[in-house]
Amino acid sequence: MEDHEILAKFQHPASRNLAFNQLVRKYQSKVYWHVRKMVVDHDDADDLTQDVFVKVWKHLENFRQDAQLFTWIYRIATNECLSFLSSKRRKFLLPLNDVGAELAAKIEADPAVAGDEVELKLQRAILRLPDKQRLVFNLRYYDEMPYEQMAEVTGTSVGALKASYHHAVKKVEEYVTQHSLE
Amino acid sequence: MNKPFKLDEHPRRPRPLLSEPPAGYFDQLPTRVMARLPRAEQPAITSWSWLLQLPASLRTGLATMLVMGGFAASFWWSNPAHSATTASLDSVPQTQLVNYLLNSGARVESTDLAVLAAAHPELPGTFLHASDEELTDALDAQPADESVYF
Repeated sequence: MEDHEILAKFQHPASRNLAFNQLVRKYQSKVYWHVRKMVVDHDDADDLTQDVFVKVWKHLENFRQDAQLFTWIYRIATNECLSFLSSKRRKFLLPLNDVGAELAAKIEADPAVAGDEVELKLQRAILRLPDKQRLVFNLRYYDEMPYEQMAEVTGTSVGALKASYHHAVKKVEEYVTQHSLE
Repeated sequence: MNKPFKLDEHPRRPRPLLSEPPAGYFDQLPTRVMARLPRAEQPAITSWSWLLQLPASLRTGLATMLVMGGFAASFWWSNPAHSATTASLDSVPQTQLVNYLLNSGARVESTDLAVLAAAHPELPGTFLHASDEELTDALDAQPADESVYF
C-alpha cells in the first residue's frame, strides 16, 4: 500500500487501525535496524521500535505531507535513539567512551561477528564515534541515504553532514589501521 | 608497516554484523505495537453531562438525597415486618395452607404436628373436628415408632 493510501485511510476512524497496521508492517524492519545499529542490543531495539510507532500513531494526524512519511518516521526513530543513549549516560553517570565500550562488548559477544577480526575492529571504531556522528555514519555508509534526505532526518544542513561523515570515516580508518598493528 | 585501512576498499554490508532478531519477530511486532496504542475514548452509554450544568450546591443536595434514600430503602426492605414473603403468606387463608400441606405430598412429621398444636391449640379442633378422647384413642391405636424398627 502506498503512503498516500495509508494516510488517507488513517484519516477515517473506521479504517484507522487497518491503515496503521499496514504502516507498521511496511516500515518495521527499516525502523528496527536503524534503531538496532544505534543501540546494538535487541531488547533495547525492540522497546524503542515499539515506542517509535506509538509516537507515530499519536502524531500522524498532524503529519504534514510536505515531507516523506518514511523520513518523518526515521526522524522520530533517530530522536528516540539519541534520547535513549543520552538518558543511559546520565542514569549511570557514564562518560562517552564507556557507553561505546559497553556497546562494543555487546557486539563482540554477538555470535554473528565472531571470527571476523577486521569487521570487529570496524565495529569497535564506529561505536567509539559520538552518537550524532555515528548516526550520520550509519545513515550514509549502511543505508546509503542521500545527504538531502539525511538533512531532513537530522535537521542539519547538507554541508555539516558531509563534513561530519568525512571526519567519521577518517576516525574509523585511523582506529582500524592503528589496531591492525597490534 | 601495515597497509592503512581504507573504508572504500572494505566490502560494504547493508548493516553491521549483528545477530538477526528472534524468528517470527516481525510477524508479531505489529500486533504488539497495536496492543500498546492508546484506545479511542468510547462514548458513554448514559450521558450524565447535564449534571455538570447544575450549580454545585444543587449537585451536593442531589448526592445527599441519593445517599439518604439508599439508606432508607435498605432499612425498609431489611425489616421483617415488610418482608414480601411474610406478607404474601399472611394473605393466604389457613385452610388453604393446611390443605396444601396435606395434599401436595410434602412430608409432615409428627413432631411438626406436635409443634403446631402447641403453638396453635385451636388448630386440631378446627381441622379434625374430633374430641380430645377421640384423638387420644386414635393416637393410642398407632404403633409406636420403636415397634416399627424392632
